[in-house]
Amino acid sequence: MTSYKETALKESFFRPGSTLCPGCMESIAFQNAGRVSDNGVKTVFTIGTSCAEVSSLAFPDVVAWGRGDEEPDDFARSFSIIHNVFESAPTVAEAVRDVADALGACGALAEPIQVMAAAGDGGALAIGLRALLHTIHRRARVTVMVLVNEIFANTGFQYSPATMPFADTSTTPAASNSPGNPQLPLDYIHLAIAGGAELVAQVSPAHGKLFVKTVERALTATGTAVLFVPSPCISGWKFADGQTVELALLGARCGVFPAFTWERGIGGKVLDCPREAAERPQVEAFLVEQRRFQHLVTRDPEGRPAVRPGREAELERLRAWTQQNVERLYRLAEFT
Amino acid sequence: MSIPSETIRRCIPHRDTPAGARYDSVIDLARVRAAHRALTVDRETITADGNTAAALATLQMWRCVLFAGFPITPSTKWIETVATRLAEQPGGLKRVKLLEAEHAVADYLVGAAAACRDLVFPTATSSVGLDHMTETTRSLGASGLGNVLLINVYRATANFPLCIEGDPSDTLAHRDDGLIQIVSRGKQQIYDTILQAPCLGMHQEVLTPTMPGYYGIKDSHRSERLTLEPDREIHAFQDRWIPECPLPGLINGDTAFGNCVTSRHFQGFKVEQKRRIERAVELLPEIGADFERHFGRPGLQYFDATGWADDGVADLAVVTMGPDFGTFEALRPAYEQHTGLKLAGIAMRLLTPFPRGAVRRRLEKARVVLVVNQAHHPGRGHLTLDVADALCDLAPAPRVVSAFAGLGGADVSEATWEAMLDGARGALAGQPQPDYRVYHEGRAL
Repeated sequence: MTSYKETALKESFFRPGSTLCPGCMESIAFQNAGRVSDNGVKTVFTIGTSCAEVSSLAFPDVVAWGRGDEEPDDFARSFSIIHNVFESAPTVAEAVRDVADALGACGALAEPIQVMAAAGDGGALAIGLRALLHTIHRRARVTVMVLVNEIFANTGFQYSPATMPFADTSTTPAASNSPGNPQLPLDYIHLAIAGGAELVAQVSPAHGKLFVKTVERALTATGTAVLFVPSPCISGWKFADGQTVELALLGARCGVFPAFTWERGIGGKVLDCPREAAERPQVEAFLVEQRRFQHLVTRDPEGRPAVRPGREAELERLRAWTQQNVERLYRLAEFT
Repeated sequence: MSIPSETIRRCIPHRDTPAGARYDSVIDLARVRAAHRALTVDRETITADGNTAAALATLQMWRCVLFAGFPITPSTKWIETVATRLAEQPGGLKRVKLLEAEHAVADYLVGAAAACRDLVFPTATSSVGLDHMTETTRSLGASGLGNVLLINVYRATANFPLCIEGDPSDTLAHRDDGLIQIVSRGKQQIYDTILQAPCLGMHQEVLTPTMPGYYGIKDSHRSERLTLEPDREIHAFQDRWIPECPLPGLINGDTAFGNCVTSRHFQGFKVEQKRRIERAVELLPEIGADFERHFGRPGLQYFDATGWADDGVADLAVVTMGPDFGTFEALRPAYEQHTGLKLAGIAMRLLTPFPRGAVRRRLEKARVVLVVNQAHHPGRGHLTLDVADALCDLAPAPRVVSAFAGLGGADVSEATWEAMLDGARGALAGQPQPDYRVYHEGRAL
């Protein structure tokens, strides 16, 4: 394992020049994962259509991918990226892995490669759930990062299967007779484990060391590693500048998306999120920072989060869902 | 200061290309070639259906190591045939990759072909299977990945009422996908076409995926004699036409595929795409001629032709595609004798891009051209529009008569051919003609 400090000094494959929103968690995730992947093994990256793709691979603007200012002489530091349609990133990654393995099997490729894929929750859990689950099911030796911002951000902040209950999205608008998203989110962590993944984690760079360590472990997995990266979206969640990491941390600690790591044969753990609700920050503290929940919570005269009159039932259901969410992960952690 | 041996090992020279760096020595293709296990050592003749012919052709190429597929709706049997053959030959490099849907197969082809641009990645599909791939086949068509070989078994595409028999409405619906579509008829032509297709698609000035196809049921499921060439001869022929791709792949490159662009820059990409596929029109007969020199059978051509005199004059010329052209070939002498007319015909081989110039030159001295379409079309027919476009700047232009027959894979019988020819004779007499007629079982419907 490389130390956190050593990793921080490595060269990322994600470079300046993207047009992602300032403070976008996707950018932070790529920068960090990119540093971890500077590990002496050539990286191939596949990406489905998403915010991250349209904001970083536009020709002839700066392509925000690649290691160094020039193509490196050191093949192991070289980097290639391919974009294909929304749902395809895991399948495309699997294909690259298979070709490399076939070439390696006959001695035609002496150098190892590592393959990473990225998709949003729309790309991976809605239109691309088939692709994700089947790549997992086939135990493809790839690392899939699913950047979960709980919306189709690229197309206008519409509902996705990962959207929190009662969130205001452009297709589940909150109004006087509508409390926002009526659906419970898909249990994608459980699905990934059940599908056959070797490593499943839910962690964002807000837990810096854990994120780096998890990506590092994922890249050495012999099967499919799936990293769900909670990704606060400044435009879709509607929070103030500079709060991305803080919100990611708060969301994890209050139980909305707890930090979680799991490996087949070993089991898992929930980190930095106690099982007892009383020991965690209240979910209202997370909600009140985002205008997508302003129909549910507001601030009282002292600045504390307070439920809006008439929305008590929804908030109570949200608290219950959060507790179920935490309980579910603790139970999943016991599974080996 | 000594340089760590690890550093020395990994400093691989790279070459700059318009698409990024290419690390030339990273992939040793000779080892892939050496790992190939020959299927056929000597030329031999077997009895095979079209799907078997297609499977054997792909298995004999050293560049094909991964065979991606889905059982396909309706099934083509290509993937089963490949799987069976590989199961009988364990331990080799080649393997079947089973995916969960046709869409996944197309996505897989993108990743594989981009990973190594010097290998060929085949699959087979049909009908709604091809439709399901569409989101990605349209990307593939423009991708520059000429090492994708998408075999399509023509069967009626999604339609009401459901009919999955062998008409070419699937391939015709996908002409805008951008792949080079080549029609085959007969098992030998299927086999030979698939062997030649990568030579065209992977040519450095073409770099466009190919879609060889053949008719479902009529050719896919019926058997006839098939000559198999020795693998070494196939390799010798293909190696002449397929040099190492000068552009980087994902594995041996530092590169980016699949960027998005604004409309300002989109134009340039599309102009290049058009130039590449138009170059295929020029190269196709050269590859075909070389194939014929090597193997002694006709290679790729724009179309098969029958009945043409040296002066190119014909009273009535038929344009169609597929195996029902054989029925026309068989009845043509008798019909000529009976009517006193000079009859000739062509069966299209290169469907997309449509070889306008060659078709115009072939048909320019025909008085009437009868175009027989075998797929549903809301107007005069896919082929009719192409033929009319090819002839439009001739003065005088041959009169184009449009017919539909064989819809849903129905046989185009001698009686149906005679009815269509009789109908077209009216145009020779100057009689007004409807926009089209639909024929079945010897009569206009």
